[in-house]
Amino acid sequence: MSAPSSRTASAGKLTEAMGDAQSRRIGRLTTWPAQALLLFIVLFPTIVTVYVSLTAWTPLDGKPWTQAYKTFWWFENYWEILSDRKLFAALGRTLLIVIIAVGFQVLFGLGLALLFVNNFRARPLYYTLILMPMMVVPAVAGYMFLMLFQSTGPINQIISVILGHSFEVVWLANETLAIVAVIVGEVWQWTPMVFLILLAGLMSVPEDQIKAARLLGANWAQIIWRISLPRIKGVLAIAIGIRLIEGLKLFDIMYIMTKGGPGVATETLSLYIYKRTYGDLEWAYVSALGLVIVITMSLLGLALVALMRPSRRVQLVHVAK
Amino acid sequence: MASIELANLTKVFNGVRAVDDVSLQVRDNEFVALLGPSGCGKSTTMNMIAGIEQPTSGAIRFDGRDVANLPPNKRGVGFVFQNYAIFTHLSVRENLAFALRVRGVPRVEVEARVAKIAAVMRIADKLDRSSASLSVNEMQKLAIGRSAIAEPAIFLLDEPLSNVDAAFRAFMRTELKHLQHTLRQTMVYVTHDQIEAMSLADRIAVMNQGVLQQFGTPQEIYSAPVNTFVANFIGSPSMNLMPSRIVSEGDDIMLQFGAAGALKLEAGTPLFQRARCANSKDVIFGVRPEDIEFAEVSDPTLGLTLVAQFIEPIGPVTTIHFSDGEYRIKVLTEKRFRTGLGQAHRLSIPLERCHLFDRESGRALGADHEVGGRAHVNA
Repeated sequence: MSAPSSRTASAGKLTEAMGDAQSRRIGRLTTWPAQALLLFIVLFPTIVTVYVSLTAWTPLDGKPWTQAYKTFWWFENYWEILSDRKLFAALGRTLLIVIIAVGFQVLFGLGLALLFVNNFRARPLYYTLILMPMMVVPAVAGYMFLMLFQSTGPINQIISVILGHSFEVVWLANETLAIVAVIVGEVWQWTPMVFLILLAGLMSVPEDQIKAARLLGANWAQIIWRISLPRIKGVLAIAIGIRLIEGLKLFDIMYIMTKGGPGVATETLSLYIYKRTYGDLEWAYVSALGLVIVITMSLLGLALVALMRPSRRVQLVHVAK
Repeated sequence: MASIELANLTKVFNGVRAVDDVSLQVRDNEFVALLGPSGCGKSTTMNMIAGIEQPTSGAIRFDGRDVANLPPNKRGVGFVFQNYAIFTHLSVRENLAFALRVRGVPRVEVEARVAKIAAVMRIADKLDRSSASLSVNEMQKLAIGRSAIAEPAIFLLDEPLSNVDAAFRAFMRTELKHLQHTLRQTMVYVTHDQIEAMSLADRIAVMNQGVLQQFGTPQEIYSAPVNTFVANFIGSPSMNLMPSRIVSEGDDIMLQFGAAGALKLEAGTPLFQRARCANSKDVIFGVRPEDIEFAEVSDPTLGLTLVAQFIEPIGPVTTIHFSDGEYRIKVLTEKRFRTGLGQAHRLSIPLERCHLFDRESGRALGADHEVGGRAHVNA
């Protein structure tokens, strides 16, 4: 692993006495405790998870995990994942919610960011207000929206006032409306993050470029489309990527607002895993599932990083033409 | 094709008058340089013409039409930024095509015009390169081409040559002049470099501290500066400006320079006439370094005696600095001239090419009669 650079090592008096090779050996020795700790923190749980995922072990057996090998059945759990219809249904719901939510987050985030690029009165105040949802603990946001979306809650009351007659939809008990409610909560909480990232991107677009485009005859829409957006393409991809990956872990809001209900209408991947873990106590299966998800996410992340590399980006621009 | 009229144009930034009551008219097809030291308001004036800045008061008219309510993209103005503002995320071709694309010009026509302007600017072989990979000189050409392609009636250039190297600057000066003749556009050119302004412009507007000092042809500004600022700013090395005192002597007037001597203005000569208009006896006498000669004059009232202090040889010419402790005079002379340092010389001053300014206001004496309506005096 990482040995201390020879330059630092050779700087000391000790080094001169011992010689380069020996000092390097000692240098390497001193890193072992840290390496061991790292291995214990990262590798040990992974190994345990891999080990358990290859068995049919459950805490209901009354045996410690060390004896899980007695129920060893190789890749049986992994085969089950492939044929787990509830799992894929949950994945489908998660993707649906996440894609719609991220779509709105980007739309609103970009819109707000475009408004905030230019200075205006009380900008810091509005800026702070807009960022606040992001600071709220997701579980607390869940409670907020649970309260807001009650059939006698503020949202129905406001709609009643606007319509002029009583409006009493039971949001969280309706399969479609529950999804809508959850998406509203998710968009409310995470639009600020997309806003923040995109604003940083837009601020980095040189003002001269925008002036130049205007003087060359472009209207504001053309400036956004031809100058601003192309210049923040990378930042936009990062914002979408982060929100997609974060979104796939969607849990808190759901758990508090709907517990995945009604039925399984809002049961996301995380909720499904939670139910299999605490409801069914199928820890071996959950281990296998967790590993598959981690590997899938890592591959997605790698693809994203590859997409971000400058040389690659230039190529993509040419292909897109 | 368009004329530009600025009428009492004023811009105030946080209480500072960056541009102060500037009025001038740029004729159709004219090449006008806004010349002045940095911070003199020339760029702000340009930005107001382009519509990037709104004037605090005053009017801007193109062909007699007020453009106050026209946004920059509707003014039909080409603008070259000091730092070029190249769209580095686009290729050279896309940069050139930008102005046409946003106007919805058909693709075939865009391609033809891009090819044409690329040929004019000599960047045709770089069309498919990323514009970020261009050299500064190429970016300069791209910036001009990108603005020129839409054939704007008015072309504004904000110190376009300040970032390029000296050799390329000389080359681009010629190119710009040629370009203006081919495109027949009204050009306004902001610069702090008097050589650029003198060599390129039909007329020069000299500005200082937001105020227009003088507006005239390079020759007028060089030979008849309206005040000490213009006199000092135009010409390299700059004009010798020496405080002097007017003393009447019979019918003539003597200009006294302490120990260095005195100059006699004979009755009836132009300088004599101007000296006579002086409100105060205290004046500033101006003479260009290139006008002074080393002729041996017998009449002591036709020259000044000073000691050579140091010499700046720059190839074709040599600048010699003279002093007598109180006065300093620069003399521009041909390269073969040799003198020993510390040696006293009698300098012949050609009075017909000298200037007199009021010491308090800095204004040229009798300038109003000399330049008349052709120059604006705003000191």
